[in-house]
Amino acid sequence: MRRVARSQVVSSALVALVALAVGFLLAGQVKAQLLTPSNQVARNQALIRSVQDLERSNEADRQRIAALRMQIAALEADAAGRSNSTLALQNQVADLRAHAGLTLLHGPGVEVDLAAGPPSPDSTGQQRYLVTYQDVQDVVSVLFVAGAEGISVSGRRITPLSAFSGSGNEIVIDQGPPLFSPIRIVAVGDRNRMEAALQDPSALPNLRARQAQYDVTVKITGSPDLYLPAYDASLEATHARAI
Amino acid sequence: MPGRSRRARSGYGAIAVWVIALLVALVATIQLRSQVEVERSLQGADPASLAFAIDQLHQANDSLEVQIADLTQQQRALQSGGGAAADQVLAAEAEQLRVIEGLVPVHGPGVVVVIDAPGLTALDLQDALNSLAVGGAEAMAVNGRRFVLGIPIEQTDSGVTIAGAAVLPPWTIDAIGDTNRLAETADLMTHQLHGDRRVREATYRVEADIVIRSVVSERPFLYAVPPQ
Repeated sequence: MRRVARSQVVSSALVALVALAVGFLLAGQVKAQLLTPSNQVARNQALIRSVQDLERSNEADRQRIAALRMQIAALEADAAGRSNSTLALQNQVADLRAHAGLTLLHGPGVEVDLAAGPPSPDSTGQQRYLVTYQDVQDVVSVLFVAGAEGISVSGRRITPLSAFSGSGNEIVIDQGPPLFSPIRIVAVGDRNRMEAALQDPSALPNLRARQAQYDVTVKITGSPDLYLPAYDASLEATHARAI
Repeated sequence: MPGRSRRARSGYGAIAVWVIALLVALVATIQLRSQVEVERSLQGADPASLAFAIDQLHQANDSLEVQIADLTQQQRALQSGGGAAADQVLAAEAEQLRVIEGLVPVHGPGVVVVIDAPGLTALDLQDALNSLAVGGAEAMAVNGRRFVLGIPIEQTDSGVTIAGAAVLPPWTIDAIGDTNRLAETADLMTHQLHGDRRVREATYRVEADIVIRSVVSERPFLYAVPPQ
């Protein structure tokens, strides 16, 4: 009896081991099939490494800026605690910073999720299934027209000086690293107005056409309370001077 | 009892098989998912896109280094100067932010772009202003009307409006910023516009001192709650 039981355990273990081996083999096989040809990967590898190095440096710089801004705010708060005029000035700056996107913000709003459709042939030679920086720019513009008081794009806060650029499926906003699909745009403001503006059939005609034709995802979700991060660099005007 | 013991052992064996099978599925799924992620990023990363990203990141990192130097200087001034230094730093930041938010008249070097095309739309104007912003514009105005990102540009029956006011063509766009970068941007922009059949005129000139007197109205938050 004991021998039979032992042989059952042994056979169970064997089945499990075989299943494990099959699983790894299967994963390895699919992995090999998914990989692009090695020469193509090799060609881009150096460039990819450069981008990754620069992104790491970018991230470190932005963290350093955030830390410096916190230290400066603490020093300013300390000075404001000792002087009413400094306190008044600090309050003015706090209001200006909030409007410029330099502080956290929360309130009712909408989230817009954009994602590229499946790769598909395009007779125009363009890759119209991709989400581009113009799409993001268009959505942000519709949201501002509909009363957005603050917007972030995949965690990057939009400021009065923000600019959108990109190439292919890369979306670059200000000094941030490139963003890729899926993109989440979060706007705080008049939720009903923003939802209505985004759902208006005449709004975002290009994106809507590609949604139907190329399966580009455009998902709009209202929320009673959304949070926007603060802009994580400095805003500076070095050429424009107040008169 | 021996029967119960055998059933218990065979039950453990079955559980072991299921646990291992589950682990196999988990490992395989994780492996597949991570590979799909790698595949997706490789697919998007053609050499042109990577070169663009490298260029953008170099520029961005240079700019961030300058910002770090400025902030470090501010921090030192605050640490050594006490209350007077705090007032000075705060006043300087307030002035900068008023310039950036378009709340005060400004002047400085830049470019003036003139675009005359009857059929241009709000999207065309947004693209032109965004291009200049990418080129480093710090303050802009269209036909004397101040623009910063966040000010609504709309297409109406009567044409394009900025903050509700009509801006009829020809558009004269004043942009203050680094003249080298702005001139490069304006040059590219006007060349592209010349290829557009709707465009009658697209020119630019560099000026040493452009004055923008218009300002945007302050917009208090109605829904958003800043930190207290």
